[in-house]
Amino acid sequence: MKEVTVFILFGILILLLPLILKSPYQMHLIIMLCINIILAMSFAMLFSTGLITIGAAAFWAVGAYASTLFVMNLNISFWLALPLASVTTGVIALVLGSIIVRTPGVAFVVQTMVINMIVVQALGQIDFLGGWGGILGIPRPNPIGPIKFVSKTNSYYLILFLLLLTIVLFYALYSSRIGRAWRSIRLNPRLAQTLGISLFRYRLLAFIVASVSAGWAGSFYAHYFGTIEPGTFSVFKSIYIQIYSILGGLNFYIMGPIVGAFIMTLMPEFLRVGKEIEPILTGGILILLVIFLPGGILSIPERISFFPKMLQDASSSSRG
Amino acid sequence: MTAALFTQLLVNGLATGMVYVLIASGLILVLGVARIFNFAHGEFYMLGAYATFALCQVLQVNFFISIILSMFVVALLAAICYRLIFHHIRGNLLLCAAASMGLSMMFERGALVSFGTQERGLPSVFTGVMAIGDAALPVEKIAVILLCVAIMLGLYYLLMRTKLGKAMRAVKLDTEVAALQGINTTMVYALAMAVGCSLAGLAGGIIAPLFSITPNMGHAMLLKCFMVLIVGGLESMLGGVVGGLIIGMTLSFGYYILGGLSEILLFSIIGMILVFKPGGLFGEVVEDV
Repeated sequence: MKEVTVFILFGILILLLPLILKSPYQMHLIIMLCINIILAMSFAMLFSTGLITIGAAAFWAVGAYASTLFVMNLNISFWLALPLASVTTGVIALVLGSIIVRTPGVAFVVQTMVINMIVVQALGQIDFLGGWGGILGIPRPNPIGPIKFVSKTNSYYLILFLLLLTIVLFYALYSSRIGRAWRSIRLNPRLAQTLGISLFRYRLLAFIVASVSAGWAGSFYAHYFGTIEPGTFSVFKSIYIQIYSILGGLNFYIMGPIVGAFIMTLMPEFLRVGKEIEPILTGGILILLVIFLPGGILSIPERISFFPKMLQDASSSSRG
Repeated sequence: MTAALFTQLLVNGLATGMVYVLIASGLILVLGVARIFNFAHGEFYMLGAYATFALCQVLQVNFFISIILSMFVVALLAAICYRLIFHHIRGNLLLCAAASMGLSMMFERGALVSFGTQERGLPSVFTGVMAIGDAALPVEKIAVILLCVAIMLGLYYLLMRTKLGKAMRAVKLDTEVAALQGINTTMVYALAMAVGCSLAGLAGGIIAPLFSITPNMGHAMLLKCFMVLIVGGLESMLGGVVGGLIIGMTLSFGYYILGGLSEILLFSIIGMILVFKPGGLFGEVVEDV
């Protein structure tokens, strides 16, 4: 009962956040936080099948560019471009994924990273895609009736809806037969295969779903931010996405990315350090985290509950 | 295409290819023996270049001595990094990869903050042009090829003929059995990391007179090395050598024939290799995470 109350209060807080936060910059941070959570959850989904990707930002870029090109060249509405961009991302993920999910482990890490670098290079080199300068003046989402998406508040509710959609979709997948198959693949691929689980198909499915969710995050980002440039989607962003998941805890596929992205997005604002040395701090935090807290922040309660048990074990063994 | 042009492109391709071979074989050594996928490898290459620059330009040391000194500096730094960071998480590929990404970010930005963004370069050590038939070949490039070949032969000797090399190969084969035979695996891990990263440092020193030195040169090099690994496979040194030469040649000849599209040619070659040989030319698909 207590948990339900806390949950409801938390939900109300999230819904009323625009009333509490007055400055547009704070709202911008929260919106970027929601995008980061979706991206980190797409990383966690691939991790749940035992694959580690450094290419999440590439599919974010594909979604953003596809949506922008649909709206600006074909003059279609944002509400049509968003699903179209997601489908485009899914098709590209299907083609690339069917090539690369066959090689798990380090090879997959390298391949996704190279894909990300190639995507950034292609976006920068091809003039049709805007070149290194990017695309400016992307129109805002078309208004629905009286609701215009000019203010940060309405954009916030839109991304909140997308985020909830992603969470519900991912939760449904994780708790279904598919999610159990993914977890069994991660625990022991060979054993899963003997049980009749096709590694290739289930991994490809995870790759496509993760990429599609990154795609709609990208579509929203392009129309919310108004400009896109290749530098935003670099490998650095993919590494940051990975850090969100590791920081929160890799065994928590939905809560981990939320906690990790929350801390990593808002921490630089509180520290107020220069943009110059921020990567040094981030890198240092990543290293410390990996050494001292490899289970992530959400594993702390588990660890604390282990302490008394450990002490007990130690004392009983010394007695015995 | 005339014979002279062909020779010239061949030498160019060999020179760049051999540099890739050096760095990629360091990466393969660290991955194979210490089980660390080192994303900071490009940064060790950058630090090697900066160390050579500092010794050569600021302290006025002879070029060859400064290459060797900077190799030892990079090796020491890599060993310290191993002992401070990777030793605590050894065996866990994901955590090691994440930690090395953190290391890479710190080194790259640290170099940017402390050395500034301006490009630096060393004066050429070898000047002059060598004529073979009609082809005019810069001595610099030939020196790079010879140096790299000599270093690779030294690496071969180290791995195949010395006791340390034997220990490294044993650890790569089976860590626990190697430890049972009395091999100090921690020491071997640290030394493998030091040797692998010092190869990157050496490569950085060797190219210092040829290219400009910038804090973010490591990233571009790491991308090329990843391509080498995709082409050659992650397991064998031979794969690294063949992959490095293929990438070097493709870039050199492709740039002449196709111009700016040569990168796309490279990507399509990599795509073909991935479709037909998913583990690379000399690798196998391993099912472990």
